Order: sequence, then structure tokens, then C-alpha cells
Amino acid sequence: MLDTFREVVTPEGVPLQLPAAGPVPRALAWLLDLVVRFGVLALMSPLLAALGGLGRGLYLGLMFLMFWAYPIVLEAWHGRTLGKRALGLRVVARDGAPLGWMPAIVRNLLRTVDMLPFGYALGLVACLCDRHGRRLGDLVAGTLVVHTPAPPATPPARIDTVLAPPLPLQPAEQMAVIAFADRAPALAGPRQCELADIAGPLSQAQGKTGVLRLYAIANWLLGRR
Amino acid sequence: MRQEQFVTRHQHEWQQFEQWLARRGGRARKLRGTLDADLPGDETIPERYRRLCQHLALARQRGYSPQLVEHLQQLMQQGHNLLYRTPPPRWQRAAEFLFAGFPQLVRSQGAAMWAACALFVVPLVAVFVLLQYQPDLVQLLLDPRQIAQMEKMYDPAADRLGRDSGTDWAMFGHYIMNNISIGLRTFASGLLAGVGTVLVLLFNGITIGAVAGHLQHIGSGDPFWRFVAGHAPFELTAIVIAGGAGLQLGLRLLAPGRKRRIDALVEGGTIGARLCLGVAFMLLVAAFIEAFWSSIAWVPAWGKFTASGVLWTLVIAWLWRGGHGGGDAA
Repeated sequence: MLDTFREVVTPEGVPLQLPAAGPVPRALAWLLDLVVRFGVLALMSPLLAALGGLGRGLYLGLMFLMFWAYPIVLEAWHGRTLGKRALGLRVVARDGAPLGWMPAIVRNLLRTVDMLPFGYALGLVACLCDRHGRRLGDLVAGTLVVHTPAPPATPPARIDTVLAPPLPLQPAEQMAVIAFADRAPALAGPRQCELADIAGPLSQAQGKTGVLRLYAIANWLLGRR
Repeated sequence: MRQEQFVTRHQHEWQQFEQWLARRGGRARKLRGTLDADLPGDETIPERYRRLCQHLALARQRGYSPQLVEHLQQLMQQGHNLLYRTPPPRWQRAAEFLFAGFPQLVRSQGAAMWAACALFVVPLVAVFVLLQYQPDLVQLLLDPRQIAQMEKMYDPAADRLGRDSGTDWAMFGHYIMNNISIGLRTFASGLLAGVGTVLVLLFNGITIGAVAGHLQHIGSGDPFWRFVAGHAPFELTAIVIAGGAGLQLGLRLLAPGRKRRIDALVEGGTIGARLCLGVAFMLLVAAFIEAFWSSIAWVPAWGKFTASGVLWTLVIAWLWRGGHGGGDAA
């Protein structure tokens, strides 16, 4: 429940991390979709009303498409509806592959059951019980809603100098130095020094000099050479 | 190998892959067969993608900088999404499914289909017969407003059959929205261990039986039968098939057999989705017939019943023989 990450290994042997999305962003995405759908219907209704009986038929046909086909088609083509796009969500198969047509149909048809007895209550219960926050439709379709985080922005260079680290660093240590360069400017001066002192053996300096050396090492690690 | 050497050695390949992704990343149909000369050909991509995955694993294991690993991971993920994406739907496949795959699928779920048929037809016929002998029971089954509306819709003196108002097109839209939604919900509610589907089938059977029985009893039988004869073959069959799809899904929840319950459900869901595509198509045809043919009052009874007979024969032949001898079972 606490760790919603699902790690799957692709056929090529590379792990894919799927951060499962919980009920709140999904409910918000659903609300946005609802607004979009009603918006389209409201926009089209005066136009179609002018066509008389044919227009009324077209309006009801459009209503059918908006109700049933909108989520299916968008999820099968793009993996997400407009609401999910706005919330940074995406539907994927449980092995991390993009969604196919059949799963998209199943998960959206079974909304009927998830909506029972009112307001997606059954879906919410399933979502809270499942490790990866899947509602009943997701379970049967074999799908998963995941966050698609924006790629992390590289921190801007703090200083111009570049310094190669005197000893090779493990990936986690490299991450720590880069994270320091990213976040240290938001800290008070003494706190910066305090943190930099922990990495004293690496920077071979204390205090202000240590901070600057760490910045320079971060530059080197980020490939600014 | 040091990181710089690694990057210089493979950078060109990564850039080419990235450019290819940028070109091909859009819709699957677009740009088919139009590639620049300097870009790698499509046929080399799976191989390049696997090599990229290997580079990523190497970069991870050798502890290269997080930034490089992140970049390769991004490329890998984009490649994964593109290589494993859904192929664009093809019209030929759709026609094949309609004529062969769908009837085969219906037959493969024969037991569930017959069960759904019984759940629908038995109450329908029973209520119809019952109302011929105990006409007052209709007050129990339908509420008075419904009865009044039905009597008005099938008034033998009306110039249109089976409707209060609305043009053909408006009713077409109405039937699409209503009937297809009901069909799809009939399937979906099967997930509740089949209970939802059973209830929907029984309820529909009883209601239709009550309406037919009542109208027959009060002497409006002729316009009623003339109205429903045309679209019944498609509509009633589609409801039964949707019910069968729901029942097989519910059954997989109750008795998954020698599979994990979740795997059994996923399999049942795929079968159900395919059946629903066919059901939606059948109900679309039914809506068309209902809107544009069934309501015509001047066609005499023998015309309507002949058309109905032809359509029943077609539907049954389609479901019974469709896809026979095709070889590949769906």
C-alpha cells in the first residue's frame, strides 16, 4: 500500500518502473474528462438543434460516442484521455507495454460495475485494496494507471569551474553530489557548509571551499567539461 | 571502459535512434515508407533497440553518471512504447472478425449463450402466456403510466407504428444511445459473479413478455407484432449474446478452473470485449431497422413478417455457420 511502484522487466531484460496512480488524481482526471465531454455536447447542441430531426439523431449519436467511445478510443490511441493527460497519468498494460484495443474496451465497459452502487464506490474500494490502485475494470483488463513524471530538469551550473572527483564514485554517491548542487543554494550558508563537510574526504576541503568544490564536481558529473 | 570512451563510441547510434523515434513517434499510419537516407531503416530498429537496452544495462552496472543512465532510460522507454504499441486497426481485419471471428467466438461460448437465452426467453414466454389467462397481472409487472404509453404507441389507428413522436433520424439516435448502452451494461454487470447479467436478462424478459402479452390481450397485437418483427432478429439475439458474454465473465470469477482467478478474468474480459464489439454492431443494425423500417405503417403484415423471416434466417445462419472452414479459430 505504501510502495505503489511496480517494477516489471521488459523482454529485453531492462527494468521498467511503473509508479501507480492513486484514486485522487484519477478522480480529478475523470472530472476533467466529464467537463470536456459535456462541453463538446453543449457546444454541438445548438448547431445540431438547427438541423431538426436529423440533428436530434446526430446529437444522440454523439452522446453515445462521448459516453462510450471517447475513453476507449483515446486510451487505445494515446494511452490517455485528455483529463489523464492534464493530470500526467497514463494507462499501460500490466507488463508496462502500451495499451491495446481489447484492454481499453474492457476497462471502460466495466466502469459500469465500478460505478456501483453510487459514485464509483466499488471502484474506490477495489482501488484502496489493490497494491497498485487498480479498480475492478483495470483488474479484468490487466491494466494499470501510472504517473508519467516529467524528466527531471538538470540543475543549472552553480559555478564555472569543473573538477574531476579524486576517487571514483558509486551511482548513489554521484546522485547525492548532484542533488547537493541542485538544492544547496536554497539552504542557509552555515547549513551548506555543514552538509559539505560530510563529504570532506571527497572535496578534500572544509567550509565554503568544500561547497564550491562539490559544485565543481557536480559540474564534472553532469558532463560540463 | 571509461564513460567518455563509452559515450564517444556509441553516441552516433543513440542519436540516430533518437531521430528515428522523433520521425516515427507520431501516428502509426503516418510516414509509412518515407524515410531520409541517413536514418536507419525500420528493419534494423529491433536490433538497435536491443543494443540500446544492453548499453543501458552496462551503463547501470558500471556506475556511469546518473545523467547518462537517465538519458538511455528515456530512449529505451520511448522505444519500448513505440515498438510494443497497438497496430493501427485494419478494415479488412474488421470485416473478417464480423463474418468469421464473431460467430466462432459466440459458438465457442455456447453453454453461456444457451443459458442466457433460457434466462431471457423462458420468462418472456411464460409471462406472455400467463397474461392471456390472467390479464390483470399486468398491473403488477408494469406501472400504469408505462401501460398507457404502450397502448398509445401501438394504437391500431395511428399512422406511425411504435412511437409517440420524433422523426426517423431522431429515433435512430435514441435507439443507438439506449439499446447499445443496455447491451454493453448487460455484459459489464456480469462481473458481479454473473448476478447483474442474470437480473438484467430476467427483467428484460419479463418486461417484454408483459408488454407483448398485454397488447395481444387488448387487441393491439397486430401493430405491435408488425413493429417488432423487423428488428427482433438482431436486437433479441444481441441481448442474449451480451448476456452470454456477461455470464461467462461471472463464471470465471466463481470457477476460474486451473488458473489464477485474475488470469481467468483477464481472459474472460478479452472474450467479452470482442463479443461486445459484435453486439454493438448488431444493435446498430437493429436500431437502423427499428428507426427506418419497423415504424412504416403501410407495409402489410405479410411484408413485415416475410422480411422478419429472412432476417431471422440470416442471423441464425450467420451465427451458426459463420467462420466454418476458415481454419484459424479466433
